[in-house]
Amino acid sequence: MLKQLYRAALLTTAAACFVFTSMASFSVNAKGVYQSGPDFFAEVFAQQQAESKVLWLTPEIRSQAAAIVGHPVRGLRLRYHQSDNKTAWILEEIGKEMPITIGVVVEDDVIQQVKILAYRESRGGEVRYPAYTAQYKGAALQEDYQLNRNIDGITGATLSMWAVNKVAALALYYHAAVNQSSATHQP
Amino acid sequence: MLWHRRLGLSTFVVLIFLAISGFALNHSPGLKLNQINLSSNWLLDWYGFEVPLAEGFQVDGKWFYQDGNKALLVDGHNAASCTAPLIAVAQTTDGFFALCSNGLNLLNRDAQLIEQFGAIDGLPPNTQAVTVLDNKIYLTFDSTTIDSTNIDAVIMEFNAHSLELKPAQIAPQTLKDMRQAAMPLPESLQKTLKEQSSGPSISLETLILDLHSGRFFGQFGVLFIDLIGLLVCILSITGLMGWIKRR
Repeated sequence: MLKQLYRAALLTTAAACFVFTSMASFSVNAKGVYQSGPDFFAEVFAQQQAESKVLWLTPEIRSQAAAIVGHPVRGLRLRYHQSDNKTAWILEEIGKEMPITIGVVVEDDVIQQVKILAYRESRGGEVRYPAYTAQYKGAALQEDYQLNRNIDGITGATLSMWAVNKVAALALYYHAAVNQSSATHQP
Repeated sequence: MLWHRRLGLSTFVVLIFLAISGFALNHSPGLKLNQINLSSNWLLDWYGFEVPLAEGFQVDGKWFYQDGNKALLVDGHNAASCTAPLIAVAQTTDGFFALCSNGLNLLNRDAQLIEQFGAIDGLPPNTQAVTVLDNKIYLTFDSTTIDSTNIDAVIMEFNAHSLELKPAQIAPQTLKDMRQAAMPLPESLQKTLKEQSSGPSISLETLILDLHSGRFFGQFGVLFIDLIGLLVCILSITGLMGWIKRR
């Protein structure tokens, strides 16, 4: 009887250890760099000839960008790749404590792709799943600089989701700013 | 009886102190003594805390330093995000280049962030230095991170406009001689940095406990409190003896 009890206790402990370590390794796996910037651009413009360009953030652009993300944006210039009406951006936004690096592709003022390139927080990494990011495809910017569609959230990843929403809206705004400035520069 | 009185008078102040500090320690959670932090310099010195002097780089009359948290400060102003350590700072005629462990910050002449060149943009890991020679920017890398067969440090020339790296033919020693070492910050910046960041501190509870037990004054303090304890024993015995005698 005692032997049986001992065996059961041993088995339960082993099972608990296994569950615990697999959970721990899962949360560690959520962190990481999934794709580098150059690789992202190369993948996005595999079929097209894209140019690397720079958008200088004028005071106007900065103030509007700050309104979209809710805090002042850092840096005076921003790099993007463009081919015709398609632009690709790599932007960072803090989820809870750490920045999430997000690649956004915009074509004709509509989001074509959102991809999480690097996630550094221990929780909320579910936003990187294609099933989630696919929701952004086709989203455009409303007049109030919000996305024109509702994005279904993920439990436990609310802050990360907000960060992705902000970055998606910001990329759409930057895309519009690029098109506007190129339109005014044309004779 | 005369000795009893003399002993009583000589321990009177210490006994009152021990009673009050003991009372305070007994009610420490209620009085929230463990939440009151003391960080005066002499106290930290007394406890043997080494408060390291913050270091930075002085370039073109500006001080570049890391705040111990996640910011690059330039003369007290938060310029960019920077994970410690701040490895090196260099300047060209266009601006400044501050290398942190999370990336290279490109700043203009007014030390405003232009952009950051990090690992995600193609900066190899373990970048060891940024050096400017003849207005050209060179980055030095630990060779093993790029090419495991190469033993020497790898040096690349960095284009601040296109953010491209290309191999440079330059002797590592030449760049090494050009590099500026980190220096302790001037006192005024040290002071503001200390006020802003949360350095080491000692809770009031610890201080009272150490005073109560005598540990605050080291081994002799403990012996002194032992002696007081012994005197209290003697006092109570002599007091009892005096009381019995009178009856």
